[in-house]
Parts: sequence; C-alpha cells; structure tokens
Amino acid sequence: MPCLLLKANEFDFEGRWIVSLQDNKRTLVGLLEIEKQDQNWHAYLEGGPVGIRINQDEIEILADSRDVRGFVFNRRLSGSLKNNQIQGRYQQEGAAAQKEEPGSWSAIREQKNGSANQLPRTTKPEDLTGIWTATQELDFRKYSMTLTQGGKDWLEQYLPYYDQPDVRCTSIGLPALVTYSFPFEILFSNDRYTFLYEYQAKVRRIWANDEAPSSYMPPSRMGFSKGVWEGNELVIKTELLEKTVRDFRGELISEHAIIEERYSLSDDSQTLTALIIVDDPDNYERKPIRRRQWIRNASTEIFPYSCDPDSFYIPMYQDGEMQMYIDRSPLRF
Amino acid sequence: MMTKLIYLFFLAGYLFIGTAQSHHSFTAEFTAEKIIKLNGNIQEVWFRNPHVRYLLSVETSEEESETWDLRGSPVVWLARKGWTKDLVAVGDKIIVEGYPGHNGRKMLSIIKMTLSDGTILIDRAPE
Repeated sequence: MPCLLLKANEFDFEGRWIVSLQDNKRTLVGLLEIEKQDQNWHAYLEGGPVGIRINQDEIEILADSRDVRGFVFNRRLSGSLKNNQIQGRYQQEGAAAQKEEPGSWSAIREQKNGSANQLPRTTKPEDLTGIWTATQELDFRKYSMTLTQGGKDWLEQYLPYYDQPDVRCTSIGLPALVTYSFPFEILFSNDRYTFLYEYQAKVRRIWANDEAPSSYMPPSRMGFSKGVWEGNELVIKTELLEKTVRDFRGELISEHAIIEERYSLSDDSQTLTALIIVDDPDNYERKPIRRRQWIRNASTEIFPYSCDPDSFYIPMYQDGEMQMYIDRSPLRF
Repeated sequence: MMTKLIYLFFLAGYLFIGTAQSHHSFTAEFTAEKIIKLNGNIQEVWFRNPHVRYLLSVETSEEESETWDLRGSPVVWLARKGWTKDLVAVGDKIIVEGYPGHNGRKMLSIIKMTLSDGTILIDRAPE
C-alpha cells in the first residue's frame, strides 16, 4: 500500500493515539501512530500503513480492512484536533459484504504507562474456563502491514487462495487461529491452560509453570506457549513457531516470530478480550496488532471439524491449474 | 497546492483498492459490487469443510443449460444456523442469491438459498 507523503504543519498530531470508532453496531479500537519525517507525515494503524492528510487542525486517514467474508475495503476517517483530542466522522468505501453505516470516531493519546491494550480492565485475574463465542467488536482487521524488504519479496510471489494453508486443510496456526470467528473452549488444570479451537479441531497448551520445551521439540504452527498473569491480564508468549502466513493476505510469519497475547475479562466475567501482537522483525517493520472479543456462551458447543480438500483440488484440476499448483510446491509449507 | 494533495490522497485510495484486488484471492474470485439471483437444479453437493460447495444447473434456453459453482461457508457455521447436509440434495430446485465471480466466471458466493418449499437458508458470517 502506498504511504502518502504530505506537507506537515504546526499542529501537534505526532504521537501514539488510541482510536475508537463507532458505527451503529459496534465499537472498534486501534493504535494509531502518526510520525513526521522530513516534513512529511506517515501514519500506521495497528502496525499497518494508512494514508494520511493533515491540513492545519484537520486530519484525514484512509485505512484498509478486510471483512469477515473476505472482501477488502477502506474506511475514510475525517476529523479535527482540539484540546489534545481528535474527533470526527468516518465512512466505509468500496464494496464489502459487511455494510457499515457512517459513524463517529475519536482518538486520545496513548497513556505512557499502558500497553496498546487500553480496554476495560478487570480488578483481578478471573476464571477463564468455558466456551467462548467470537464477536466482531474491537478489531479493525487492518489488512496491509508495514513489511521489510524480505516480507515484501515474499508477499510479491504469494498467491492467496492457492497458497493458503486452510484451503487444503492444513493448519494456518498462530496468530491467525486466534483471530478466526470460530468458538473455542478454555480448560485449566495442573498449571496448564488448554485451548480447544473448533476450527480444524486444534489443541493448544499454554504452560503456567516452569515447563520448557525440550531441545529436540520440533517447531510447529502452534509453537510453545507460556502464560503468566500480569495484574489482571493473562499474558501468553509463544515461540518455537513454524513458518506460516499471518492471514489471508499471505504475509509471512517466520520461525523467529514471538507472538504475545494479552487476555482480560470484563468485570462481569462474561466478556473476554485479547490483544494479539506479532513480533517478527524478519518480515515486519512494525508489529502487527489484532484485537478480539468473545462472550461466554455456555449454550453453544464445540462442533467436530473434519476437513476434506476435494473442494479445493477438484475445481483446480477441472480448470487446468493443477500443473501450476504443483510447480509452486516449493513456495508452500 | 492543497487541491493537488487532496487529489493525490484520493487517487492513492483508488490505486490501493486496485492493488488489493489484483491477486487471485477470495476477493478476486468474487465481487461484492453486485448480487445476482439464479434459478436451477442442484447437480452435486459437497457438504464438507473447509467450504460447502454445490453445483447448480441453470437453464439458459429450452435445450441448453450452464453449470454454476456455488461456494458456501464452513459446515460448522452453516450448521449453527440450521443449515444441515440433508436440507439440499441432488435434483432439488432452488433459488440462490450471492456475489458472482469476477470476469463472468460462473461462480457464486452464497448469501441466501430458497428451497422449493419456501424454506430460506441464510449463509452469513458470524457477526
């Protein structure tokens, strides 16, 4: 995505902001970073580039996103800076299956002592066990990220759909699995959290003790996860990852990536939120951020999930694309 | 000067959309620009993850028909809405609405299917 280079002015937009956007259905929250380099403005939402235009106290931002159905669209945010707050209106642009009515947005400066997760906090660690159903709250679902040259080179040759692990029933792993809109269940026993994901029936172990991976444990799409409570947040760090892609766009996650997830409960223990941060300097100049929210849902079930890739392979064969697919085998993992 | 900058800003937005859709992805497979409706008979059924798929025969004249490739959500999403495997079978006459494939490809991302008895099935992502 082109990062727009535009003239600077004297108004103090520079810095880290927490953006809150409301349409008629939900509230989205994101980290907006505005920087000035060589008299030109640059901006990043949730770690990904956005277009920015600043004129006096007015600002306009153009941010790409991808809806749950897979269509890519933009949100255009227009507003003005007053009393160290930005307020304005936004509208959706481009065709999307999830229609958003024009709404309002605001931004306040990120608190110095906080993480990017300025969400409602609980007062103490709570019981996370139970079945959780995803909502579409919070997450901007920022589409493009700020890639290194290596990350760009990878993306250039990646073919979404054909190279996507999911379509051939292969696990996409972390971090994508955490962000998908399928329910999951949390169990806790013997200093270990177990996350049971409905999608592809994946099991994930998060150690809350001194457990460490053996020197010969192979890397995997789920990696090796350790969880510790920091105040009211369960902070999970995952390493020992196998190479995968971040999302449907196909940006690379390297074996050196570290994924941090920060889980917290609402005061009534019925809502679980997570901030998901990818630290992978091999591929990203800025850390990609996703946010997810789930509601406790004892009435739902985790369905069995079997997967048959025939719906992917057969049409490809019928369309005469199989040789192309085979030729690309070295590019998939 | 400002007029020029505004123009560049909006032009960049336009170019960005073009870039995002230039890959062969779900977005490139289907267009959200329009919704079409088809009448036809079910030829084949794949009621499996990762995506449900039906082949639909649509008559174009008394002697001719064309086959459309209907793509649906994962089984688990549909099942939660009561859309189960036995509801749609080979030979069933249905009406279906959805997002069509790009460039005239006879593909459809299913939004709604109406069965011959009037039952309406909705394929909508979790909200």
